[in-house]
Amino acid sequence: MKLQRIAAFAFATVTSAGSVSAGGADLSVFDWSGYEDPGFFANYMAKHGNEAPSYSYFGSQEEAFTKLMSGFTADLAHPCSDAVRKWVAADLIQPLDESRLTNWADMLPEIKEVDGIVIDGNLYMLPFEWGNTGLIYRTDKISGDDISLQLLSDPAYAGKISIPDAASSAYALASLATGNADNYTNLTDAQFKEASDFLRAIHPNMRFYWSDAGQLDQAMTSGEIEMGWAWNQSELNLIWNEVPAAMMRDVDKGIATWVCGYVHLKSSTTDEEQIYDLLNALSEPGSGQYIIENWGYPHANARAFEIADQASIEAYGFADPKSFFEGSLFFDAVNPELEAKMLAEFERIKAGF
Amino acid sequence: MILRSDAAKGYSLSAPATIYVGFLVAAPLAILIAYSFWTQTYVTLDKSLTLKNYREALTDPLVQHLMLRSIWIAGAVTIVTVALAYPIAYFIAMKAHKKTIWLLLITIPFWSSYLLRVFAWKLILGFNGVMNSALLGLGLINEPLSFLLYNEFAVVLTLAHAWAPFAILPIYVSLQKIDPSLLEAATDLGNNAFQRFMRVTLPLTIPGIIAACLIIFIPTVGDYVTPALVGGSDGKMIANLIQVQFGAANNWPLGATLSLMAMLSVGFVAIVFVITGNRLGRRIR
Repeated sequence: MKLQRIAAFAFATVTSAGSVSAGGADLSVFDWSGYEDPGFFANYMAKHGNEAPSYSYFGSQEEAFTKLMSGFTADLAHPCSDAVRKWVAADLIQPLDESRLTNWADMLPEIKEVDGIVIDGNLYMLPFEWGNTGLIYRTDKISGDDISLQLLSDPAYAGKISIPDAASSAYALASLATGNADNYTNLTDAQFKEASDFLRAIHPNMRFYWSDAGQLDQAMTSGEIEMGWAWNQSELNLIWNEVPAAMMRDVDKGIATWVCGYVHLKSSTTDEEQIYDLLNALSEPGSGQYIIENWGYPHANARAFEIADQASIEAYGFADPKSFFEGSLFFDAVNPELEAKMLAEFERIKAGF
Repeated sequence: MILRSDAAKGYSLSAPATIYVGFLVAAPLAILIAYSFWTQTYVTLDKSLTLKNYREALTDPLVQHLMLRSIWIAGAVTIVTVALAYPIAYFIAMKAHKKTIWLLLITIPFWSSYLLRVFAWKLILGFNGVMNSALLGLGLINEPLSFLLYNEFAVVLTLAHAWAPFAILPIYVSLQKIDPSLLEAATDLGNNAFQRFMRVTLPLTIPGIIAACLIIFIPTVGDYVTPALVGGSDGKMIANLIQVQFGAANNWPLGATLSLMAMLSVGFVAIVFVITGNRLGRRIR
């Protein structure tokens, strides 16, 4: 009797395990950590046996690229728009079918125009979230009138600033500060030198080049640093922790914008129907509302802004998405030759050369 | 016949290690060497053989600077660690009664992850960390000291702590092997405690000291995570540059060249060190 019950239980376990592998978890997503939040894809789970996709993670786009190049496989990946050209050149991703993306018509019109979303007439990336990289400062130490990118090189702030340990982001900052933002992806030799000189000028003030946002947030909170070139996520963390800090959002003073989204990998083996189910769930206005209200990130779907809490949108600083799309520097793919130069030069600058 | 079966026995005994080393050391090393003669532009790997990477690495002042700094940091770590480890090892080998407990206590830091220990130092040395809070609380300083973290000093301190047991154990073993009758004989011949140490104990422990130095120096030259976390921009080492080549720069060939050059430099320094160490040991004797 007892044995029978155990056998029945074992059988039930085995069969339910079998149905797991045939459900939502079949789909694999290669993503930044944190994006496995079920609030992003409620519709997908409802459709696929209440199961989330399987996630594996990367810490940086370069790491993701290296891993995919050495044979890692998944169905979808989540890079940012600046990486798409490189991933296409390396034959890693396949075009998406616009007609199967049910929310495509509702996407912010400007976001569809971002470089790297469409390449040679093929749609490669479904934009998901976007945000700013800007100068975050302690409002109790520096007034909103005084703040500027040039303040970073002021000797009064020796040991009080931090920028990312990433060449592209550093050169975006330097291009903005030297007035060459429009040419960021294709700087001339003279403009490149101006930007490098700016980075050299702020190097003596650098407390550290941050490699994870948490490091920057803590240093901002404790007052170790007073200005930092960082993502809007850091600004939100500071606001939520009641630290007097804000991001300089004035497009005339210099701010950058990034867009990330989902791409369909060539190594994908899962049924396309299921892949588009996830893409459509991610781009739903409801998912957008969730990410806006709970993560403080702007979403790619215009309708998400209509249904989300307006006070949060205002507080998190993206009540007017258009202004960023028109006035800010976009993290587009930098010309590969220039990118290599930036990387090499940035290593030199960091070492004090 | 007997000889042949002996040889067979030898081969079969060493086979697991040979296969292991062959697959996990020799093969990757061969790939590394091959890569160092190739070149990379954007996403294409050009497999025609060239010395371009070596030329680039040898003429680049940044590489020389980071290589020298890595060697100097690792050297400083080695000296600090061995100098601090010797008295501890001496105490355990010569004076302590419960040797096993002492040895166990020394290995306790190793029960936690290396990364965790590095982060612990970051918390201790940080701007609002343990050290600064304590000094501020005692009224010894008015504002937090910023020179504790993000420089070479922090890297040396963190590494010296992390590698301490690796220095203590070999020195302890060499101290324990000393025949007490040699020390008695030295006393009988009129040596005082200091002379006895210099003429008997120290020369007999030179092999232990050399072993400890090599065990610490070789891995710390190539340490990546400690300088990345506590080094700031003034404490960066050669491994951080190698990581950039394999990561952000996506230039594996140049990264491979830098790795090989780092290996050669370490090998050279280590050989010079062993030779001088042995000479010095003989002279003391």
